[in-house]
Amino acid sequence: MRLATSFCLLAFLVWAGPVSAAEPATTRAKALSSAELSARIDKLIHDNLADSNIPPSSRATDSEYLRRVYLDLAGRIPTADEAKSFLDSKDADKRTKLVDNLLAGKDHARHLADIWQGLLISKNTDARRVDRQPFTDWITEQFEKNRPYNELVREVLTATGPQDKNPATTFWLTQVTVDRMTDTIGKVFLGSQIQCAQCHNHPFTGWKQDEYWGMAAFVMKVAARPPGNKQTTSPEVRETPKVVKGKKNLPESVKFVDAKFFGGAKPKVKETEPLRPVLADWLCATDNPYLAKATVNRLWALMFGRGLVHPVDNINDTNPASHPQLLDELTAQFQANGFDLRAMLRAMALSDTYQRSSKPVPGNQEALSEAYARMPIKVLSPEQLFDSIVTVLGTPDTAAAAKRAAAQKKAPNGNGPRQQFLALFEGDSDADATEYLAGIPQVLSLMNSPRMNAPGAALRLTQGLGNSEAVDKLYLATLSRRPTDEEREKALKVVRQSDTPRQALGDVLWALMNSTAFASNY
Amino acid sequence: MNPLMRIAEGEGLSRRDAFRLTAAGVSASSLCGWLPVLARAEADSARKPDAIAQKSSKKSCIVLWMDGGPSHMDTFDLKPDAKGKGEYKPIATSATGIQISEHLPNLAKQMHRVTLLRGMSTQEGAHPRAKYLLHTGYREGQGGIAYPSLGAIVSSELGREEFPLPSYVSVGGRTYGAAFLGARHQPLVVGDPSKGVENLKAFVGSGAFDRRAGLLADMESAFRRDYPVGPGKDHQVTYDRAITMMKCKEAKAFDLTQESEATRKKYGDSRFAQGCLLARRLVETGVRFVEVSLGGWDTHDNNFARVKNLSGTIDQPAAALLEDLAERGMLNDTLVVWMGDFGRTPKINARSDKPGRDHFPRAWTSWMAGGGVPGGRVVGRTDKEGGTVEERPIAVLDFMATVCKIMGINPDKQNQSGNGRPIRLVDKGYKLITEVLA
Repeated sequence: MRLATSFCLLAFLVWAGPVSAAEPATTRAKALSSAELSARIDKLIHDNLADSNIPPSSRATDSEYLRRVYLDLAGRIPTADEAKSFLDSKDADKRTKLVDNLLAGKDHARHLADIWQGLLISKNTDARRVDRQPFTDWITEQFEKNRPYNELVREVLTATGPQDKNPATTFWLTQVTVDRMTDTIGKVFLGSQIQCAQCHNHPFTGWKQDEYWGMAAFVMKVAARPPGNKQTTSPEVRETPKVVKGKKNLPESVKFVDAKFFGGAKPKVKETEPLRPVLADWLCATDNPYLAKATVNRLWALMFGRGLVHPVDNINDTNPASHPQLLDELTAQFQANGFDLRAMLRAMALSDTYQRSSKPVPGNQEALSEAYARMPIKVLSPEQLFDSIVTVLGTPDTAAAAKRAAAQKKAPNGNGPRQQFLALFEGDSDADATEYLAGIPQVLSLMNSPRMNAPGAALRLTQGLGNSEAVDKLYLATLSRRPTDEEREKALKVVRQSDTPRQALGDVLWALMNSTAFASNY
Repeated sequence: MNPLMRIAEGEGLSRRDAFRLTAAGVSASSLCGWLPVLARAEADSARKPDAIAQKSSKKSCIVLWMDGGPSHMDTFDLKPDAKGKGEYKPIATSATGIQISEHLPNLAKQMHRVTLLRGMSTQEGAHPRAKYLLHTGYREGQGGIAYPSLGAIVSSELGREEFPLPSYVSVGGRTYGAAFLGARHQPLVVGDPSKGVENLKAFVGSGAFDRRAGLLADMESAFRRDYPVGPGKDHQVTYDRAITMMKCKEAKAFDLTQESEATRKKYGDSRFAQGCLLARRLVETGVRFVEVSLGGWDTHDNNFARVKNLSGTIDQPAAALLEDLAERGMLNDTLVVWMGDFGRTPKINARSDKPGRDHFPRAWTSWMAGGGVPGGRVVGRTDKEGGTVEERPIAVLDFMATVCKIMGINPDKQNQSGNGRPIRLVDKGYKLITEVLA
């Protein structure tokens, strides 16, 4: 067995092609229903657990599931009313209905837009004058319409024209140089860190430098300049007949080779022909070996805290999936379903695997997260944290917000409360979803900033309620559950002992919003 | 062995630890008796390496990090006879026989306190990998482990348990973290030194704050009971460190307005100058490691205008820092290190009409002062073109081990990585720079 493994590894090193997925596509899989796909997920995860003799955790409570699925699909926690109505519902099908409602909602589109903007739009200094809002609006709309993902990618890849006419050009306007364009296409659409092969042949994956520069050749004719200081016309993306040379466009390590699909053929193209449509035809084809796999792996990571291949952008033969067959089947189903993001997320969200509690049971506490014996506890992203705070406290002062919105028109990318919060909390974009990234300055702002201490917040939430119902409401608003008897009693004790009981409710709210539970997706 | 089960104990260990915001530390239980749950959380995790060893060394370290890689031939290793000699003239300094750039006149007067290390010779020529190497002493990704930075090592070896501030502070930007040494040794990142640490004051009175914190402590204890596995510990540790800072008088060290006008003037007005002053205040209060960073040294183009400007930015504050530490009798216990990613090419490129210099790790200069390091010396020599180390090359391991020695830390000490592997503070194979060891 051991020998066989080493032999395989050796074979990979010797064969040294990009990814085994580059083999010719087999016959198209039959599309499964969402319920059938959920069942496949559960079977393949469960077989693995059974083989390893690891007991799965129990099914998540309604409250755990509710909060989790809101955060993962809508990017925020539910309001107290939304929580109450779900928890009190006797409908046996309520989880399915909740998932369908969330997937059809605006918050879902906005949440995916946050994530994809983070992946596709660079915030580096060269691109600081590029207005990112048109892209956010555009991609939100695509997610709202549940546009087939390969069509969306095609539109980004081939985007041409002035930004105000075609917001998808923003991608090119912020990825200023050829290497950045290539790296981002590699990471997001191929799921591979092909940049490793930019300067040298990759020692482990066997990727040759020419693979990298073959891909880069597709984008070398892109003319995309971020707007200058005093520019009044909309910045524009064009494809020129020849390579756009110049130090600002090409890194020192540049190699000029024929355009070549990653791990694939060299397309026959005329020298002056636009190359991005050729790249898009290949990448967005239903049977392309990379796009579907990279995408389902990323969707899995959004829901489960880590990719089936982990890190998500490091798919290569030396970094195998924890569940290779599951990844292959999900890939085939995504292709068979016409790159339907919503259908894939639905199948994941309604699987038993996703519905497991994150509370360990005896025998699985030491299980690795890739066993999926229990749900890993994710840390709220800065966007999820801000939007959840707003869900509890209400939108920051609207008059001031309107003023800022007006000011934002002048200064692209603005400086509103959300942007300020994100700037303070922004962490390592490559960090795992389960890593706690906040430090002392972030925690101090959560404890001591005026927003988190707004005196009216608890009063507004608990208006007209007796103390006991008020405490329940605060728990529902923050943790999407009612307090236990013990928790209620503790909170009421503080309220009773205070000279100003209504203010003491503010203390309870403050503590809830600074708790590990509030900052976690468990 | 079950491949889906953890090999060694230890939860919440991250694969990547670099450039995190995290800036916390496991609570010192003595400080938070009023937050019982957090104290308990700490007791759970008191096992090494998160706990702090009590050490006798009194030393502290200030690293002036020149982000981007400063041109050695235009700062501290001028080569008037080289083909790529550049545009600046060397000037004499307070140390006999040692010359540096004409744009560093104040530092020239401090050279009797400084040892120049002109034989730095390292392996990494790309920024991220070079920065990682120079901060941790290990290559990024080596052995599949994330390594702690020097600041975290110093915090873990020399930080006092009862000290209420983080022992590792980074001024002016993010830096590398504590990896398996634990949240307690993460750097506190101060973006703008003139603002210090914001939101340090509770929004409500201290009675009300304690009531709130008491409620929070109960909630945390319940959550930890239900969900023992996950990021909860780091959350609680970070809150505990922040609350400890809020409550301590030492946090005044972050307030530069407490300095006299005369002192502030000596350092200057720039952000880097304020960072240097803050570093001195922090070290004076008991912080063991402060990194002050200054970006902009990646001078691929317009090298000569930019390096002149950058030299102007560092000259007065760095000189004032050495002078101030000496006047206060702190210099002997405070090691000051000036360094960056790497040096820059002896050859002047022709990228544009404003030429620059490119990355060059093979031969470059850093310097040390204070901490018992003898002054007025040069260790190592490059050839007349500035491109090859002819005498006394210094590798990263030599440099790291020597800093440890100066600080009174044993570089051979081993910690356990997250997966239970013993990791030396400095990897095997170093040769100490004996010339700077007193």
